[in-house]
Amino acid sequence: MASPLLETKLHIPGRRRGQVARPRLSERLSRGAESALTLVSAPAGFGKTTLLVEWLAAAPAEGRSAAWLSLDRRDNDPALFWTYLITALKTAAPGVGADALSLLQSSRSPIEAVLTTLLNDLHAMPDDVVLVLDDYHVLDARDVQDGMTFLLEYLPPRIHLVISGRADPALPLARLRGRGELVEIRAADLRFTPEEAAAYLNGVMGLVLTARDVAALEGRTEGWIAALQLAALSMRGRDDITAFIAGFAGDDRYIVDYLAEEVLRRLPEPVRHFLLQTSILDRLCGPLCEAVTGQDGGTVKLAGLERGNLFLIPLDDRRRWYRYHQLFADVLQAHLRQERPGDVSGLHRRASAWYEQNGEPSEAIRHALAAEDFERAADLVERVIPAMRMSRQEAAARGWLTMLPDALVRVRPVLSVGYAGVLLACGEFEGVEGRLRDAERWLDATTGIGKGSPAPSAEMVVGDEEFRRLPGMIELYRAAQALSRGDVLDTVGHARRALDLSPEEDHLCRAAAAGLLGLASWTSGDLKAGHSAYAECVAGLRRAGYVADTFGCAIALADIRIAQGRLGEAMRTYEQALRLAPEQGGSVLRGTADMHVGMSELHRERDDLRAATWHLLRSQELGEHIGLPQNRYRWRVAMARVREAEGDLDGALDLLNEAERRYVSDLFPNVRPVPALRARVRVARGEVGEALGWARERGLSVEDDLSYLREFEHITFVRVLLAQHTAERAERSIHDATRLLERLLRAAEAGERTGSVIEILVLQALAHQRRGDIPAALASLRCALTLSEPEGYVRIFADEGPPMASLLRAVAKQGIAPSHVRRLRAVLDKTEDGTPVKQGLIEPLSERELDVLRLLVTDLNGPGIARELMVSLNTVRTHTKNIYAKLGVNNRRAAVRRAVELDLTARTRDR
Amino acid sequence: MSETTTGGHPEAGRYEIRLRGHLDARWAAWFDGMSLTNASNGTTVISGPVLDQAALYGLLQKVRDVGLPLVSVTQVDPGRPDVPTVAPR
Repeated sequence: MASPLLETKLHIPGRRRGQVARPRLSERLSRGAESALTLVSAPAGFGKTTLLVEWLAAAPAEGRSAAWLSLDRRDNDPALFWTYLITALKTAAPGVGADALSLLQSSRSPIEAVLTTLLNDLHAMPDDVVLVLDDYHVLDARDVQDGMTFLLEYLPPRIHLVISGRADPALPLARLRGRGELVEIRAADLRFTPEEAAAYLNGVMGLVLTARDVAALEGRTEGWIAALQLAALSMRGRDDITAFIAGFAGDDRYIVDYLAEEVLRRLPEPVRHFLLQTSILDRLCGPLCEAVTGQDGGTVKLAGLERGNLFLIPLDDRRRWYRYHQLFADVLQAHLRQERPGDVSGLHRRASAWYEQNGEPSEAIRHALAAEDFERAADLVERVIPAMRMSRQEAAARGWLTMLPDALVRVRPVLSVGYAGVLLACGEFEGVEGRLRDAERWLDATTGIGKGSPAPSAEMVVGDEEFRRLPGMIELYRAAQALSRGDVLDTVGHARRALDLSPEEDHLCRAAAAGLLGLASWTSGDLKAGHSAYAECVAGLRRAGYVADTFGCAIALADIRIAQGRLGEAMRTYEQALRLAPEQGGSVLRGTADMHVGMSELHRERDDLRAATWHLLRSQELGEHIGLPQNRYRWRVAMARVREAEGDLDGALDLLNEAERRYVSDLFPNVRPVPALRARVRVARGEVGEALGWARERGLSVEDDLSYLREFEHITFVRVLLAQHTAERAERSIHDATRLLERLLRAAEAGERTGSVIEILVLQALAHQRRGDIPAALASLRCALTLSEPEGYVRIFADEGPPMASLLRAVAKQGIAPSHVRRLRAVLDKTEDGTPVKQGLIEPLSERELDVLRLLVTDLNGPGIARELMVSLNTVRTHTKNIYAKLGVNNRRAAVRRAVELDLTARTRDR
Repeated sequence: MSETTTGGHPEAGRYEIRLRGHLDARWAAWFDGMSLTNASNGTTVISGPVLDQAALYGLLQKVRDVGLPLVSVTQVDPGRPDVPTVAPR
């Protein structure tokens, strides 16, 4: 955090003496506390804050606890806004929001994940909580508003939001109104009625006004409370009250201006001067006022102003911090600018210096910018940039950088690189390279590479340490940009240079560079390099204290291990990542859910479907917000594969469709595309036409150049070709499949992707088997068995059903990998026994029925089949009816599925 | 749809913002150097060049924040130069 959280923002403002009781409004607010949102919407000076303070003073009596947040412009930075909002809630509901805050700080979580965590806490709250957001109109950042809409949408019934401001918020108010979830208090409600005006002027302020005077005042001010207060102030000690009222009642002037001027004119000059000088401050305390005015006695002067009712609002109980009522401050500033235009920038400069010395850099920057002292502002921004990056307040940093003259930013390398980083963080790639080049001009000079350009002077570079990090960071940002362009080669080049250039102790930069390098190597199929870079990234992240970020790396590391056929190490990767998680203060870290999904897939491969399901349920229990963005689709893929192993192909297909809708790459290479997975299920369901459609759509052909990125698709394509052969007895398909398998095998072996090698060998065995070349089939299978035994692969064999069962029977006789083969056969037998079709198939199909069945698998219709077999349509119908009866099904699709499951459609069967 | 402008941002131009109540001239600096004119009907016109929509909204926010009732906002012929051209007829 670039600045500490200001407690005064979370403090319910002090009650001021002498308020007019407004029971009609308090009652409405209490009623509002039954609905989701209460909106107090009116211009400045209508007593919004006062009303809420008075109402909340009674809140504990009504069994509610209250949280308060006074907003200001800086809260347009989402990271800062949500930190304040959650901290405010914690004051009213201890124990709430700890996880959300740690999510906000520890990882690059989307705000929705943070809010979901917060909402979970709030749902568990036993008591009613009111959260007041005062001065909400200062918020205009789109992402802050979106987050608020989300929060409001899911707000538990016990939590009540009160939004107070000068403009209606950008929230779905009409919808809330429609649902009766909105209570509104607007300007018309807030205006003082004549009775309230009389009670205030004659009661609280101790004036003696006639009913006529009160009516005239009320009419002129239209019940505007700020104006009535100013009027009361300027009437104190006057004898000619009626004349005074008549004087301005007929005047067209801006009433606050008129009255404030009256008040100011009657003040002693030193007090008036003090007011004008300090009007530039958002918050005032004694020492700050002393620094700005250059005079002693600040605290005493402030206390005097408060006693004199001069629109000074205490912000805490200790009477340390105050602020002026904003309308009054505006009038003061207008006077200041007119009377002493030359003083304004000096005042801001002194305020900036005081804030700098007192550890509030963002206020120091704000005042330096207001003073138009850009050099000073640039110095301050430069110093605070690393902290802003750490606390992810890029939006705020960006605001400052855009306010600095561009020429100044361009000659300051730290600012230029900082600007590039801010742009990247906001997802804006344009303009990044220009900023990096600006910075490089100075770097080249210092390393002596540049020719003749002057070295940066002391004013251009504030911190040496940050300056030394620049070369590495520039390359890191270039690598990130290259990756977003999909340029793998460039990514690797820049990431390597970033590692070479960044200092040993810059763990975060080195980890980020290693991560990008890992991603690029993995994408290009260099698994070994990918794995070691990711491992380095994890180590760096741990050293830098970013444990939650290591989960994303764990997924990549395990995925790489799986491709390498090292299931055991993949499992250990997940387990290790999980073991590290509880070290983070007991809260569940985001990414935990992903580890369970990964473990589920490994259990499924090893045919422990129960464990596979358990991990998926565990992941689901943790909730979506405990998963990384990818988890939504990965979970569905993993569940689809469990369903597939259980024989529920329809369920698998539904889950895959859902997974496809939720797919996000998160920059990971898409090495196992969902549509390819779906094509495999289509094959299993005997829907060869659909599977071929997918292959056409993907433009797959046996002549394709092979690459790691398309390997899964090509292996899937082989499966489609084999199914096509089964369905159409097309010699070409088996020939194509065999050829492609040979090439795939060579590529996978060259890339040391043992996981892929095993699958390719299995398919090779099946292809040879179909061609009737059993010795070749057994040779491939033997290789697959040897490679897969140590890692405990099961489903890759078992999913192939009866043809695999018969091959394993043959292999068993040869005594290859006996225990592995025994286990596989046991799983296959279990699957067979569990299939009701097998039991129902008491009567085998005749040769003619088998011929019809093989054609039922194709897209031919009844007349087409009749033509093909040169029989009548009636004959086909009779055969079909018999086939259905024998298979125990009642439609063509189910018949095809059973036929495929039982491998009844293959031309060569060696059972 | 598209009106030709003489240059600059298509949305840049002069604006007139009319408020209820008379404003003292000292507020001109507050409203970023715009000129203020008090009309006889008890309204004030704030007028001057506005760089773009963001600047306009910033101005309107200032009006809102001092609690002045807003009567109208008008764009004044964006194509018209500040100095009337003298063209032979």
